[in-house]
Amino acid sequence: MVKGAAVSPEQATVNNELRVRLRDMLEDRLETEVEPRAYDDNTTQSIVVRLQELAPDDYENKLRIAGFTLMPWRAGDEIESACATCMYYVVHRRFCELPELMLPVEPEWSCRLWRI
Amino acid sequence: MANILWLQGGACSGNTMSFLNAEEPSACDLVTDFGMNILWHPSLGMELGDNLQQMLRDCVSGKIKLDIFVFEGTVVNAPNGTGEWNRFAGRPMKEWVRELSDAADFVVAIGDCATWGGIPATAPNPSDSQGLQFLKRDHGGFLGKDFKAKSGLPVINIPGCPAHPDWVTQILVAVATGRAGDLTLDDFQRPKTFFQSFTQTGCTRNMHFAYKVSATEFGQRKGCLFYDLGCRGPMTHSPCNRILWNRVSSKTRAGMPCLGCTEPEFPFFDLAPGTVFKTQTVMGVPKDMPEGVDKKGYIKLTGAAKAAAPAWVEQDIFVV
Ligand code: SF4
Ligand code: SF4
Ligand code: SF4
Repeated sequence: MVKGAAVSPEQATVNNELRVRLRDMLEDRLETEVEPRAYDDNTTQSIVVRLQELAPDDYENKLRIAGFTLMPWRAGDEIESACATCMYYVVHRRFCELPELMLPVEPEWSCRLWRI
Repeated sequence: MANILWLQGGACSGNTMSFLNAEEPSACDLVTDFGMNILWHPSLGMELGDNLQQMLRDCVSGKIKLDIFVFEGTVVNAPNGTGEWNRFAGRPMKEWVRELSDAADFVVAIGDCATWGGIPATAPNPSDSQGLQFLKRDHGGFLGKDFKAKSGLPVINIPGCPAHPDWVTQILVAVATGRAGDLTLDDFQRPKTFFQSFTQTGCTRNMHFAYKVSATEFGQRKGCLFYDLGCRGPMTHSPCNRILWNRVSSKTRAGMPCLGCTEPEFPFFDLAPGTVFKTQTVMGVPKDMPEGVDKKGYIKLTGAAKAAAPAWVEQDIFVV
């Protein structure tokens, strides 16, 4: 997909179907690596490097390594990480544009690469 | 007729290159239209050897009136405070800098090296470099914090790596035409006319900044570079998006993050691996906030802005 381009209806359908598949995987209790969180640059980098080694359609491992959850992640009183507030989240497409993920997501989902 | 002398210490000549490319006004305009007399400059000066030494001595003694002393590059103090690593015209450059600064009506530091030490003064600072009146954020530098030129003004700092050519020539014109009194300087002795606003002021990505739409690659036309690619536009004082580079563009317009080169800490984080072109975060929240914004406010604002973002902001609005 060309970044910044409007999504065609066909692409939107593909995304919607994939989003459902991803949700199913997560609901089927796919064990994801929710910790350690990517709270410093070294941890972020080590997660990103592992994601870069995956094939673009290796969805299961993308979800596992990025530490996806179906609910926002809470750290203390101040910080709640959810796709909805993440810098990589494209609101109207409900899409994660982190180059190593590039996945349709939901606003209430979360992963450990969240950054605001 | 204002006499200008320009010398170079520990530097890459970037500010000289910038100066020679000035357009409004150009280096030639300074001479033909604004009555400046460039006594000597590393790329333009005619005198060599004994003749140059004599000219410098005459400037120090007052035989030649020195209106504006411009310095580019750091004051090099190594080894052991002697300054011998940077000799010029028969003696350590730092000795000329001290005497010429005392003799001049105005002293102007051009570029980060001369203002606060810049890249040469990055830890471990092997050349023991200083800026003229600052070392990074610490006031003092080589000339000391109480230094004032004969005009009563401290060193006028025009930072940048390099400084934009027109910042240099416009300030020189203001000083040489007797309008230095109109210049107000900020806490870092930068002319406010250039350094009160932010790099972000006038950036074409401001709407993306407001709605928190991030660019994820260099050169991408859509998105703001603050969130992921380390842009320092919201906390850097410069007119880079008001006085454009080459009159056509700027780093951020072209899709490259601002590195904050007009601020005393540049280069930030001492260039540690992974810190350049990458937003530094703690628990996912940027370490350095837009100026004046606190962490709580930033988190709240981001949630609200993303929720309110219109659909068009996610698309490329700069179509050809
Ligand atoms: S990087 Fe951000 S948008 Fe992408 S999945 Fe993780 S939290 Fe969601
Ligand atoms: S790209 Fe940089 S200067 Fe431009 S709006 Fe974003 S943060 Fe500000
Ligand atoms: S955009 Fe930033 S790094 Fe580039 S010249 Fe301007 S202040 Fe310096």
